[in-house]
Amino acid sequence: MRTFVLLGFRIRQEVLEWSGAWWFLATLVVQAVIGPLIGLFVWSAVYPDDPTIARYYVAIILVTLMTESFEQHTFSERIYDGTISHELLRPQPVVIGVLGANLAIRAWLTFLGAPVVLLTGLSLGTGFDWRSVLVSLPAVVLAAALVFLLTFLLSMTAFWTQRVHAVVGFGHSLIFLFGGTAAPVGFLPDLWRQVAELSPFYAMSGLPAELAAYGGSVWSALALQLFWLVVLLAAVGLLWRAGVRRYTAVGS
Amino acid sequence: MKLLNLLGASFSMSLRRSMAFRINLVFDVLLAFVGLGTAVAPVLIVFTQADTLAGWSKAETLVLIGTYQLITGLRGTFVDPNLSWFPDNGIRNGKLDSYLLQPAPSLFLASLSLSSPLTLIQLVPGLGVLGWGIAVADVRPGPAGVLGYLLLVAAALVVTWALSVLLACLAFWAPKLQLDVFYHSAWQLGRYPTDIFTRPLRVVLTYVFPMALIASVPSATLLRGAHWPVLLGAVLAATVLSALAATAWQAGLRRYTGATS
Repeated sequence: MRTFVLLGFRIRQEVLEWSGAWWFLATLVVQAVIGPLIGLFVWSAVYPDDPTIARYYVAIILVTLMTESFEQHTFSERIYDGTISHELLRPQPVVIGVLGANLAIRAWLTFLGAPVVLLTGLSLGTGFDWRSVLVSLPAVVLAAALVFLLTFLLSMTAFWTQRVHAVVGFGHSLIFLFGGTAAPVGFLPDLWRQVAELSPFYAMSGLPAELAAYGGSVWSALALQLFWLVVLLAAVGLLWRAGVRRYTAVGS
Repeated sequence: MKLLNLLGASFSMSLRRSMAFRINLVFDVLLAFVGLGTAVAPVLIVFTQADTLAGWSKAETLVLIGTYQLITGLRGTFVDPNLSWFPDNGIRNGKLDSYLLQPAPSLFLASLSLSSPLTLIQLVPGLGVLGWGIAVADVRPGPAGVLGYLLLVAAALVVTWALSVLLACLAFWAPKLQLDVFYHSAWQLGRYPTDIFTRPLRVVLTYVFPMALIASVPSATLLRGAHWPVLLGAVLAATVLSALAATAWQAGLRRYTGATS
C-alpha cells in the first residue's frame, strides 16, 4: 500500500514537472508516431483498397504512444552522472522513481498524441468495433508493462557500458521489426511470422493493436504477454542485483 | 583552402580521440548494421507482397535506402556533432562565445569544426545496399545518370548542412525551442520514396522541407537517367538554402549578446 502511495506522489510530481516542457513532449509525440505513420503510408501504397490497414496502424499509433519508454534517459543518465546514489539512499525502491517518470511521460504523450490519432482516424475514415477496443485494454496495459521492463532491462547496461543508447536503440529496433510496426506481422514470410508471433516484441505492440483492430482470442494473447512478463521481471531482478553490486560512486 | 585545412585538422583530432575508446567502435559497427537492417527489412517484406512500391522497383528502393544511409552517415559524422542540441550546447552553455573569439568564420566553426569519425562506419553498409540495388537493377546506370547522381548527392549534402544550420539559428530567437527530436523524426521520411505519401505531404517534402532531394531524387536520377531541370532545381535549392542559412546565421549573431561573462 505504501509503495502505491509513494508511486502516486511520484507520478503527480513528474506530471507537474513535465507540464513545463509541453513543447518538447510534442516533439516526442512526433518521434513516437512517425514510424507507424510511415508504415501506414507504405502499406496503404501496397494495398490502397484495404481499409483494415488504416485501422491497424491507427491502433498501432495509439499503442505506441501509450507504451513509449525512455529509461535510457530518465534512469541511465543518472547512473552516468552519479545522481542515482540519491535514489539508492532513500528508504524506498529505486524503481518507484523510474516508474513514476515513465507513467507521467506516457500520460502526457497519450494526451498530446490523442489529436493526432483522432485526425488520422477521421481523415482515413477508420471505424472500430468498440467491443474489440475494450477487450484489448488489458493487453495494452500488459504491453505497456512489457515495454517498460525491456527498456529498463536494457537501460541497466549503463552499469557496464557507456553506449546504453545504442543498446536500447537495438531493442527498440527489434520491437519495430518484429512488433508489427514495420509491417503487420501477418505480412512477414512464414518462418519470420512464426518467430515474431512468439516473441516478446509482438506482445509489446502488434498484439494489442490487432486485438483492437480485428478482435481475436484475448486469453491466448494475455497468456503470451504474462509469460514474457514473468521472464522479463526475473531478468530485471537479476540484472538489478548485479548492476548495483558493480556500481560505485565518489563524492558527497 | 584554409577552411579545408581546418576541417582536416579537426577530423584528425576527432579520429584520435575516438580511437581511445575502441569498444565504442564495436557498438557503432553493430548499430550501423542494425539501423540499416531496420530500413532494408521492411522494404524486403514489401517486395514479398508486391512488385513495386508506388512505382519504385526493388532495385530503385534499395538504391534509395543506400543513398539515404550515405547522406545520414555523413550528416552524423560532420554536422550533428556540431549542431545537435544547439540551443543547449551552443547558446546556453556559452560554447558559441569561444567560436566568436577564434580567427576563423564562426559559421564554419559552429557547424563543421567537430566530427564523429566512427559514424563514418554507417557508410560501409550504406554503400553495400547501394551496390546491391545497382546489381539487381534491370538497367545499368549510364554515365549521365552517374554524374547526375554525384551532383545531386553533393547538392543533398549542402541542403542537409543548410537545414541543420537554419534549425540551429532558431535558437537565437527562441533559445528554449528544442526541435532536434522533431527534425530527426522528420528526417526518417526521406528513407522511402516520396511517391508513397499523399499529395500535400509530397509537396511539403519536395518544396518546403526538401527530403525528396536527400534520397528520392538522386536515386531516381541514377537508375532512370538525368534530367536537366531536376539537376538545375537541386543546385538552385542548395544555393538558395545555403545562402539563407548564412544570412540567418549573421542575423542571429547580431541578436546574440553572449551567454558568459
